[in-house]
Amino acid sequence: MAVEITAAESTKLATAEIFGRTIAELGEKDSRIVCLSPDLQSSTKMGDFFKKFPERFYNVGIAEQNMVGIAAGLARAGMVAFASCFSVFMSLRCLDQVHTDVCYQNVDVKLIATHGGTSYGPAGSTHHAIEDLGVIRTLVNMTLICPADGLETANAVKAAAATPGPFYIRINRGFDNTVYRNPDYGFQVGKAVTMAEGNDLTIIACGSCVYEAIQAASILKAEQGINARVLNMHTIKPIDTEAIHKAIDETHRIITVEDHTIIGGLGSAVAEVIADYGKAAAFLRLGIPDKWSPIGAPEDLRAYHKIDSAGIAASGSEILNKTVETGGGNGIDAGAITQSVLEVIKSALTVAKRTLKPGDKWDDEV
Amino acid sequence: MAEEIKITESDVYAANIFLGAAVPLLRVICESEPKYGDKFKGKFFVFQMSALYDGVPGGKIATHFVVEDGKWTCKALEVHESPDVEFQFANLRKLNIFMSGKGMPLPRIKGASKLGLLISLLGALLRMAGLMQATTMPVSDADKKLLTKLYFYLLPNGISRLSKMGQPDVLKVTSVSPDRVYALVVNGDDELQSWVRMKEGQTSSGRGASKRGIPFLSMEFRDPASALGILMNIDNMMDSIETGKLLINGAPEFGDLVGDLMFKVAYYAQGEFLVKEKLL
Repeated sequence: MAVEITAAESTKLATAEIFGRTIAELGEKDSRIVCLSPDLQSSTKMGDFFKKFPERFYNVGIAEQNMVGIAAGLARAGMVAFASCFSVFMSLRCLDQVHTDVCYQNVDVKLIATHGGTSYGPAGSTHHAIEDLGVIRTLVNMTLICPADGLETANAVKAAAATPGPFYIRINRGFDNTVYRNPDYGFQVGKAVTMAEGNDLTIIACGSCVYEAIQAASILKAEQGINARVLNMHTIKPIDTEAIHKAIDETHRIITVEDHTIIGGLGSAVAEVIADYGKAAAFLRLGIPDKWSPIGAPEDLRAYHKIDSAGIAASGSEILNKTVETGGGNGIDAGAITQSVLEVIKSALTVAKRTLKPGDKWDDEV
Repeated sequence: MAEEIKITESDVYAANIFLGAAVPLLRVICESEPKYGDKFKGKFFVFQMSALYDGVPGGKIATHFVVEDGKWTCKALEVHESPDVEFQFANLRKLNIFMSGKGMPLPRIKGASKLGLLISLLGALLRMAGLMQATTMPVSDADKKLLTKLYFYLLPNGISRLSKMGQPDVLKVTSVSPDRVYALVVNGDDELQSWVRMKEGQTSSGRGASKRGIPFLSMEFRDPASALGILMNIDNMMDSIETGKLLINGAPEFGDLVGDLMFKVAYYAQGEFLVKEKLL
């Protein structure tokens, strides 16, 4: 019997390997689960499932579109079909099949799109999947998830197996920086996870950029005293509008960060929510500009596109200089501090105020 | 029988601004203008401004100066037991009315026999009051610079003192603030800089450039006249920004925040509270 992945193990496994272990574990519990691969089972780490359940594994050959069509057919027959290939092919080459065979039929096909974003950076633009979130997000019935690390991938795959309908889960090639040490942090499809608290600005990130955003928040706090809230927006569709509304109301400044073109992906999804809400917020989208990305190691590309921690921190400083018309708000939501808390502080200071002595650290120069 | 005066919280806030932040500016006058400062050369004395108040131990709050051969040392909100010259008001209300220019309740003057010294002190005090209570822009560049300096030193100090006193509107801001410095600057003039630092309800203030690195927000004025235009409520802030008189280096709405705090200091320092709260 497969053993659930521990936090310690997760740091030693590539994200796709965690997917492979998870789907093998789920296969033991649910005989409806089948897996399909276009001769990429080694790259997409479906080997564990193949070894355990060869009769439920289909290698369709180098024919990604066929894979998606067959997966849809199996799902129509009552299976829960997990099909996996590189993101760039899943979202663009197979788009017609995903659109018509999967989403229009609204069947239980779970697309595991590996090598997302620029995580396969050295392979060049033909293997950079920087448009997939934008393309897939528009499809009716589709749930779109971009996990932050291995443990979150495991959670997303389990949620997909347990939830009827099409899913697209975008994961990276190789190892992701560890964001979660414990799988029980309350993952829910459609609910952002707050990774850092703050009221000066909000950084909304997905995928590998979540780790970078958390680091950026630490830099901003240490170097400039800026308190940045960080949201892991792992589910891009349906997006967590409530968390975004709260960020607008409480921080007035939002930065989105994604390993994806700035057109159509997470940034656009957040922008739509802001526009629909009707309240102003200073807004920056960080990602790959409307240009082909250079070729290189993923970490170098993140730095180049300023979606690494240093780039995000610099944008954090920049956005604080943007004007926001908040309808009379002052940027610090002091109103959120309840009157009772103020009364406690005031009472404490009432004693201190009569006895303040010059020479204190917090003295005033005269 | 003397009229019973009920001292309010606003009286306490205002008196602390006057004695803690405004009266110390007398030293700035004497150090900046030889016409006034030279009169104290060769003299050694202690001068104190005070008001009786039974809300503190000792029943009195005061600020005193130790003057040694024209060199001034200020001890803000510290009582000296035996000053050579003292202006002592019967209560905080009278101090506030006098200092805000809303009336002329006379203090008890200790050391009145030292007439020469008294006249020199009164001259310096009147000079300070004349500048601080002006409603129009001073004419000379020297006066513009001096008044800017006085405002720059008063306002951050006043914000900090109000926070320490627990003034609710100010504390509401400082109690939730991360460790941040807000600065006032006139470009190209090292003397015309001041700052207030706040962190979770604690505050401090000082003159010159902040020693804690780059301020979170600085209001950088082109020249003293540009600064006074805003500080004296003569110019519109947006117009000043558009015309380059004022550069807000940092998030603009935090500029509003600092502005609100400065207005709160002005509310007490200009005696507006005496009128609004019907205390006159």
